[in-house]
Amino acid sequence: MSSFYLTNLVLVQATITGLLLALSIQVPIRMGVFSFAGAGAYGFGCYAGAILVLDYQMAALPTIVIAGLASGVIVLVVGLLIAKLNGLYLAMATVAFCLIISVVAINGGELTGGSTGRYGVISDFTMGHMFAIGAIALVLVALSERGKLGRRVDAVREDPELAASMGINVRRYRLVAFAVSGVLGGVAGAMNILVRSAVSPLDIGFPLIVLALTMIIVGGSLSWKGAVIGALIFTWLPDLLAVVGEWQELIYGIIVAIAAVLLPRGLYGVYVDTKRSVLRRRRQEATDKATAQTPPPTSTGDTTDIDRLAPEMEAQR
Amino acid sequence: MSTPNTAETLPTTGPAGGAHASPGGVAVLECDDVCVHFGGVKAVDGISLQLLPDTIHGIIGPNGSGKSTLIGAITRLTKLTSGRLLFDGEEYQSSPASVVARKRVARTFQTVRLLPDLTVLENIQLGADGRTHDEGPRPNLLKRLLGKQISPAVGEAIERTNLQGFESFYPSELSYGTQRRVEIARAISTGPRLLLLDEPTAGMNQTERAEISALLQSLRTGGLSQLLVEHDVQMMIDTCDHVFAMNFGKLIAEGRPKDVVQSPQVQEAYLGRKWRDHA
Repeated sequence: MSSFYLTNLVLVQATITGLLLALSIQVPIRMGVFSFAGAGAYGFGCYAGAILVLDYQMAALPTIVIAGLASGVIVLVVGLLIAKLNGLYLAMATVAFCLIISVVAINGGELTGGSTGRYGVISDFTMGHMFAIGAIALVLVALSERGKLGRRVDAVREDPELAASMGINVRRYRLVAFAVSGVLGGVAGAMNILVRSAVSPLDIGFPLIVLALTMIIVGGSLSWKGAVIGALIFTWLPDLLAVVGEWQELIYGIIVAIAAVLLPRGLYGVYVDTKRSVLRRRRQEATDKATAQTPPPTSTGDTTDIDRLAPEMEAQR
Repeated sequence: MSTPNTAETLPTTGPAGGAHASPGGVAVLECDDVCVHFGGVKAVDGISLQLLPDTIHGIIGPNGSGKSTLIGAITRLTKLTSGRLLFDGEEYQSSPASVVARKRVARTFQTVRLLPDLTVLENIQLGADGRTHDEGPRPNLLKRLLGKQISPAVGEAIERTNLQGFESFYPSELSYGTQRRVEIARAISTGPRLLLLDEPTAGMNQTERAEISALLQSLRTGGLSQLLVEHDVQMMIDTCDHVFAMNFGKLIAEGRPKDVVQSPQVQEAYLGRKWRDHA
């Protein structure tokens, strides 16, 4: 095992959990649902994982499965309750859900450990498990961006009325977005507690929303690749900026502001736009070449008087 | 426009409606006293009509007469205030728009609505994705998951709408007229039984309009019923078998295209009474 990997093991773990957290916000945004419930699910997953391992001596994998499914169901119920909301109102309702999870964590008594939280969560969880779960989640999300499903998700986001007129049940897609967001957030939270072994109310709540949103704004909100880019940057950047000490937060903020203003589709969006622009230029060059190689039209009944007279005028000149 | 005295021979529509049912023709769609009111505005006010298979129907009328709202009501994207809608004799006025679309009711919109991040091919495939009536073997799971499957209906729609060579283009790279053709191709690729086209030739030149007119006429087979909303009266005369005229949310005339455009009520709706008398 390389020394770089061992030295940065905590950052590697944080990248994987951060990626799943970012995906839990990105999946609903890809379907036009401005929901942050995934961050609440992450908090729920952390505590569910701690409780299942500490109080029920459950193994790591069943803990993750149960935490993920329970989070999915809870977020789906939230989705059903706020199904008629849209845009900022929907976002605010899901922020409220995240805050409720924090309040329950603080006031949950022995079950959640109150303001101290739960600690000493030791299980059979390995990095192999973590890589495998992260890879499975990533592949599933990547597949959802391709083919029929990908096109339908695009339609639901860009134009719900058009999507409905194509036979797509927009409401069902949006509810699935809530459920998937909950599962991803819950799994990320459960994995986080299994590698960190402790959780407190300070680890969940609003800062998670900011982190996840930052990752997908800078990375790109419309593809899993954007989430990967964002997770890598914002997990490793604070460590790299450690040399600047107290200016770290300022530089972090400037990067986010620049990305939000200049890169509305994120870094991955820049790549996509550049690729399209190159393709367009190549196509234009090919068209120009084909036009240049086309012989001038011969005299036919369709030609105008000027066309017919042009050679004679040229000869006279 | 001249005003020959043919208005009295026109089968004008009363509350019973559906005056053009041909012998043995079972209506694909029937609207029965359909109303769409927005507060005090009666956008569609008691429309009754029938759309027959293998027939191109048209709706003409001045701006704001309720043509697009009627298409919205038929596709259930616009909520009905009252009335009944029947598809193949089955009521569907309480079904959501997605269920109506799955009955093979396809439409285009007044303004172009293509997905900007999908290519022309993918935009058209989006229509074919909804096909549930295809027979034959399904493509294998891996191809479906990787999104490599292109439906044969897409190739056919591209050919019919003359979009060969544009498959890899994005909508922003296309002229308005070409974007319109992509929309029509998407609607055709669904394999519709009822095709609703809301101003399909807006933004097109005369040659392109003639092409679209020929395309729609070539589709007049296999039980397909078409309903066309257009402002180009000549195109309606050249293309449609049966035309409805609307004004202030009501049907004011219906019948053969030439008869309808020459009817005094229609001329009055377009020109006003004073100018109709001078026409």
